[in-house]
Amino acid sequence: MGPIDWHTCFFFLVAAIACTAALAVVVTSNIVRMACWLVVSLTAVAGLFFLAGAEFTGAVQLMVYVGGTMVLLIFGVMLTARGPFVSMKIGAGQWVMATAVGAVLLLILLQAAVKTFGRDDVSLAAASSGPARKESAAAADAALASSTEQIGLGLMGVRADRLSQPDRVLRGGMSGYLLPFEIVSVHLVVVLVGAAYLARARRRIVPRHLSGGLTAGGVEE
Amino acid sequence: MLTERMDPESVEFDVRTDEMLINMGPQHPSTHGVLRLVLRTDGEVVTEVTPHIGYLHRCAEKIGERLTARQFLPYTDRLDYLAAMNMNLGWSLAVERLLGHRVSEKTRHLRLIIAELNRIANHLVAAGCYGLDLGSFTPFTWTFREREKILNLFEEVCGARLTYSYITPGGVTADLPPGWLDRCEAFLAQFEPVIDDLHAVLTNNAIFIHRTANVGVLTPAMAIDYGVTGPNLRASGVDWDLRRDGEPLVTEMYEGYTWRVIAPINGRYPDDHPYPAIPKDAVVGDSWHRYFVRMLEVVQSMDLIRQGMEKYSRAVGEVDKPFEIKKKLPKGTAYLETEAPKGQMGFMLIGDGSPVPWRVRLRSSSFCNLSVMGELCRGVLVADVPSIGGSLDIVLGEIDR
Amino acid sequence: MVSMTELISLLPIPAWVAYTLAALIQSALLLVVALCSAAVFIWLERKVSARIQDRLGPTRVGGRFGWLQPPADGIKLLLKEDLIPAAADGPLFRLAPYISFCATFCVYLALPFAVGWAALPMNIAVFFILAVAGLEVFGVILGGYASGSKWSLYGAIREAAQVISYEIPLALCVVVVVLLSGSMDLVEIGGQQAGWFWHWNLFHDPFTFVTFFVYCTCALANTNRAPFDLPEAESELVAGFLTEYSGFRWVFFFMAEYAAMFVVSALGATLFLGGWNGPIPVCEWLGLTPEHGGLGTWINDIGNAILGWIGMKSQLDFAVWLGNLVGMCNFIIKGVLGATCMIWIRWTLPRIRIDQVMTTCLKYCVPIASAMMAGVMVWCYMFPDGVVAYVNRPEAAMEKIETPPSAGEAVKPVFKQVAAMSQPEGSARTMLASPSDAVRGSQMDVRAIGEVER
Repeated sequence: MGPIDWHTCFFFLVAAIACTAALAVVVTSNIVRMACWLVVSLTAVAGLFFLAGAEFTGAVQLMVYVGGTMVLLIFGVMLTARGPFVSMKIGAGQWVMATAVGAVLLLILLQAAVKTFGRDDVSLAAASSGPARKESAAAADAALASSTEQIGLGLMGVRADRLSQPDRVLRGGMSGYLLPFEIVSVHLVVVLVGAAYLARARRRIVPRHLSGGLTAGGVEE
Repeated sequence: MLTERMDPESVEFDVRTDEMLINMGPQHPSTHGVLRLVLRTDGEVVTEVTPHIGYLHRCAEKIGERLTARQFLPYTDRLDYLAAMNMNLGWSLAVERLLGHRVSEKTRHLRLIIAELNRIANHLVAAGCYGLDLGSFTPFTWTFREREKILNLFEEVCGARLTYSYITPGGVTADLPPGWLDRCEAFLAQFEPVIDDLHAVLTNNAIFIHRTANVGVLTPAMAIDYGVTGPNLRASGVDWDLRRDGEPLVTEMYEGYTWRVIAPINGRYPDDHPYPAIPKDAVVGDSWHRYFVRMLEVVQSMDLIRQGMEKYSRAVGEVDKPFEIKKKLPKGTAYLETEAPKGQMGFMLIGDGSPVPWRVRLRSSSFCNLSVMGELCRGVLVADVPSIGGSLDIVLGEIDR
Repeated sequence: MVSMTELISLLPIPAWVAYTLAALIQSALLLVVALCSAAVFIWLERKVSARIQDRLGPTRVGGRFGWLQPPADGIKLLLKEDLIPAAADGPLFRLAPYISFCATFCVYLALPFAVGWAALPMNIAVFFILAVAGLEVFGVILGGYASGSKWSLYGAIREAAQVISYEIPLALCVVVVVLLSGSMDLVEIGGQQAGWFWHWNLFHDPFTFVTFFVYCTCALANTNRAPFDLPEAESELVAGFLTEYSGFRWVFFFMAEYAAMFVVSALGATLFLGGWNGPIPVCEWLGLTPEHGGLGTWINDIGNAILGWIGMKSQLDFAVWLGNLVGMCNFIIKGVLGATCMIWIRWTLPRIRIDQVMTTCLKYCVPIASAMMAGVMVWCYMFPDGVVAYVNRPEAAMEKIETPPSAGEAVKPVFKQVAAMSQPEGSARTMLASPSDAVRGSQMDVRAIGEVER
């Protein structure tokens, strides 16, 4: 028995869990179990990130996606459950459409994966190259160019790719995506408030003397 | 179509979820026995509470019509089993009223000591369980520890710790054992600081105040409409206590004693108590006042017991012995309400010349106190239901009889 | 730093076996810590509550103090009938307790018991802990829903509302410390608090002092401990989400709760109370730090002499090990003290109501934590060297106030970034250098793992 590459083993294990759970989301009809499988799948994806050494992305995956799915689960339970454990009925047409959309998405993703596969990763190569200070600075720039860091910094208000612009005035106009980002956030808040407003039920309280029996003083639609 | 005629305030906007019907009980940790409450809830908000009773029904009244007055006494123990001495006293006084009998002065003082001691025990259980209903376990064990000491005193007196059958029609089963008064005084002396502990963990506790103040407000009018009595009535600001305002047979027990009825008149209690100020959120008639009235009554009872022990030891003669078991009851009706710890407990019996009453009827204070539950729990949160129920201090043995 | 892998690689076995062994030993150690902490806390809860309530608590099982009560309870619960209500959703009902326990257990991966003594040293350990600890609620919601009981459902929904709300102020409190230290690495955060106890973040400035108590409140709420035990409020909801659970499934929830108690106490200890650093820097005096000196050098000489004598070629740093051992004791003591406070609070206070829980969170904890965060920012800008430096050398601190720190100065990284944003031209390069260093660092880590495997 030769040396075991645990890293690869775990990669395949976790990837298999992620894919199986994703399939299970599709074929399950019970809404809570569906959400449960979704959580499993997303957690497994987070596991993949951890395996790749991208702990931050993994933790974000857990916090945002898994946490978000949990809220989805609660809403699923609270808003849809007329009785316990409701199942959703899915017609043949929906199946066909969902399969078609899924297949297209899969094709696009596969194409992207194949395209990047085997491409020499600039930053990784640069990182392992010699200790020369100048070279590593160049590598840092290269790493920056090929990572999502620019976008992240852009969201914080710094256009990292435009720093070489010598004109201060021009650069001032490129203060990043902070404003659009905030506008989107405010927009989301507005949507939430609007949803809460629309969800309000208008009901009137019937005075006790007008209604009889056990529902005295109760509430009517 | 109703909307046009109604004032705008009665139209409510709210995010609603499905209504849910929940059975709270009969097996539930905080319904104080086998009570079943059906809650209609909208999320955490309770829109309606319907008490269902009868799980502990034991035909107490019918049993009373098959037994002589003295034989029925042990059954009164099982009515309010947390204040069995007061139940004994109520039945005994009712029987004595039918017979036109008056016990000796010494017996009256003895009965007062015992009854007030049991009032303390009852209020201790009420306060401890109330803490438990609010999620605080520790006061419960402290109050039960003190109650155990009272039960020790009762055990010395009558041999029983829960169902005493001690105060009997005609007198008491036995006089106090030697040295009992000293031990009782010792208990009272060590008990006084414990009340401060209870005030520290409950009365003054910010969370306790937030959970009880302005919760389940019982207005005086509502209280009188529903026949609510006892500490619950007094906490609504009604100055009414049968020990002062009742029948002569009851009030004569308290003649010569200096005491006053504990009730927040115009929102204020008698000033001579050394206890915490009323929190500013508290409203007369809310759960906090119901709890606080009981705590003050404990102190009042301690004072009464001290006075009673002094009067008892100065009184001459013997304490009265019980009637013989088959003592014949005269023709006629007697009804007497006494101030039991939980409220006014009424006993009625109709005699027909035989030792066995022709009719026995019991008026339960807890029954009336429970009836107000549906009114108090409308629109409260789920957590307030045990809180309000606990503040009413009901016991199912008495409600179901 | 000497790691488990290095230690085992001293043995004459292939690298991959050593790697596997190290992983197994580490996970076993962690499991033992998690389970032992749960068992000890269950025992402690019984004893402390008993003392508060004038009782004795367990006295018989395992000697005078009832040491063996938790295992005895465990055996009893193992032997219980395995009940699943007919109305329950079986698979989810079975799954839920494991989710809760595993989530809590995973947090132990990132806890730094001493310098570098974390099972999985991560540069974002704090964030990892918050993310993973948040998964515990999933098990509770699932269990409450799948039980098919209305009381359980109530417990689950309450848990969801409560924990999801309190994660916000909790995270804000954590961010306060992250701002202060400029790092999300718990080892780094703990290391910065070395020395006397006034170097602890708790005493860094008035804002962190307040933040600590907000953290405590949120930690109580996040672990469902009284007065925030609404999801299992026994006087209202029978037993909340636990109503239908019995036997060993119930034990899993229970262990998750008690293990979570240790987690939040330990996290609080690391963030605010100096982590593994004792109140008095004894280890530094004795030379039990990487700098050595004094007793430390002496211990190392003896230890390595013994190693050489039994035929080992390598040199090990025994002094640092010893120092770490002391540090671990400090850490565990702090964690246990925190948990004891939680037990103390539980047996003293009544439970608060759901609307009051929400009020506490939204009207008090969140605004206070936000204000403290702003306060800490301002404070760090004014006194970058901390309050101690200010007290010792007021004139130097005043100087600092008069001349705000420029980006080139050696201030904490986060302020470097803030400063960089305010003056983009001169400092953008320095600012950008540090994140890409981090990227490169993590890629190196991946490389290193790969090399160990091969």
